[in-house]
Amino acid sequence: MKNNNRNKIKLGIFVTIGLALFILGIYLIGDKQKMFNNTVTISGIFKDVSGLQVGNNVRFSGITIGVVENIEIVSDSAVRVDFSIDEQTKKFIKKNAKITIGSDGLMGNKVAIIIPGTAGNKEIQDKDFLITTVPVSMDEILAKLKTTSNNAATITDDLAAMTHSIRSGKGTVGKLFMDTVFADNLDKTLVNIKQGAGGFKNNMDAASDNFLLRGFFKKKKKNREKDKEKK
Amino acid sequence: MDSSKKKAIHEDEDNGPWFPMLFSFFSEMTSLTLFTAKYCKNLFIPPYEINELLKQCYFVGYRSLPLVGITGFIMGLVLTIQSRPTLSEFGAESWLPAMVAVSIIREIGPVITALICAGKVGSGIGAELASMRVTEQIDAMEVSGINPFNYIVVTRILATTLMLPVLVVFSDVIALAGSFLAVNINGEVTFTLFFSQVIDSLAFSDVFPSFIKTFFFGFAIGLIGCYKGYNTDKGTEGVGLSANSAVVLSSLLIFVMDMIAVQITDLLF
Repeated sequence: MKNNNRNKIKLGIFVTIGLALFILGIYLIGDKQKMFNNTVTISGIFKDVSGLQVGNNVRFSGITIGVVENIEIVSDSAVRVDFSIDEQTKKFIKKNAKITIGSDGLMGNKVAIIIPGTAGNKEIQDKDFLITTVPVSMDEILAKLKTTSNNAATITDDLAAMTHSIRSGKGTVGKLFMDTVFADNLDKTLVNIKQGAGGFKNNMDAASDNFLLRGFFKKKKKNREKDKEKK
Repeated sequence: MDSSKKKAIHEDEDNGPWFPMLFSFFSEMTSLTLFTAKYCKNLFIPPYEINELLKQCYFVGYRSLPLVGITGFIMGLVLTIQSRPTLSEFGAESWLPAMVAVSIIREIGPVITALICAGKVGSGIGAELASMRVTEQIDAMEVSGINPFNYIVVTRILATTLMLPVLVVFSDVIALAGSFLAVNINGEVTFTLFFSQVIDSLAFSDVFPSFIKTFFFGFAIGLIGCYKGYNTDKGTEGVGLSANSAVVLSSLLIFVMDMIAVQITDLLF
């Protein structure tokens, strides 16, 4: 009899702990989904929800503040999405805040992202509609990537043709790089320019010492000194 | 099997070797359905054997906890260790707690626990009832005015139905503890982060369907064990056969029910 009672107590403890663990798990999952918090419902009209599902998270500044409550098609080009968000966070979300659809990592679930509005605007209220922005879809990214790669292919083709021309000495640049006679001529021209510049400097020095032009150069020097003093 | 059934089978032997098997299968199905109907009827008919029910709950639930706990712990540990290399290849090691949690809660926890219970409890019930039948204890109960069906069958089926979900909850929690240990063997994840990732990855649609199906698993284990034991024949040889067929049939039934449950869950959520 005593043993029987002891077994009943053990069974009671076993069942109680089991049920407590289950209820705790349910509470924590519900709490994560903001089921036990006061919430406000806001909505947005999207053209494309990109696979967003009921139960997906709503993020604001990277923090999960709610869940997607309902998704329904309202017309052939509009999908209405209702979001249930924690009431305590609504003071941070302004009326001109925007909502977009993003992804939780490269392979993760879709998430709704609220982009904060500007300060000075009123905070959102229950049943408000937020401005939505069109999410960039993977297809669009791939289409842009295709255009970019096509452009890159054209550029590399042109570059290949150019280098081929240069290597075969065609055109000015080709001559510059590949024609040794042209390079020698260029070198001689540079030497001549250098010599000419040296001669010109000597002429100018001689002109500044000349009694006819000395006054002009002195005046110019004074003006320069005056400018320096002003500064 | 009575002589008239044997005669019927013998007369139809010309129809091919599959006929006796088919006959036996449908005959067994009919008996099982009638047995289930009798259980459902007797569940609401007094006398209610509360003390016996509690005793059976103690044996099915509390006494199975160590086995279920060890199995659950190893399950969580092994699953985590085995999944790590594949996730590492994708650089998604941080998804390990979430992936293991969903696998354990949705599928592995309920099914493995049910199979363990089918082996331990189902065979026990089958052998116990078969030996009671063989030693005419069940007949003696009837003679002494006790309703053997209510006392033996109803209490055991109800005990397995009610205790398996509780065992699954323990198994899931212990498996997650094993997973936490495995995650920390090769890396360093705090308990808070692990716990937060596990809770974040779970939804009601993961927890409730898997919890509800464990009631059906428990019911199947108790029902098959009792049916095989209660209707045993062939003397002492039948005791072993009943225990064996109880385990085999209930394990098979668990998989079939799981398949149906997954289809229904997929349809509803």
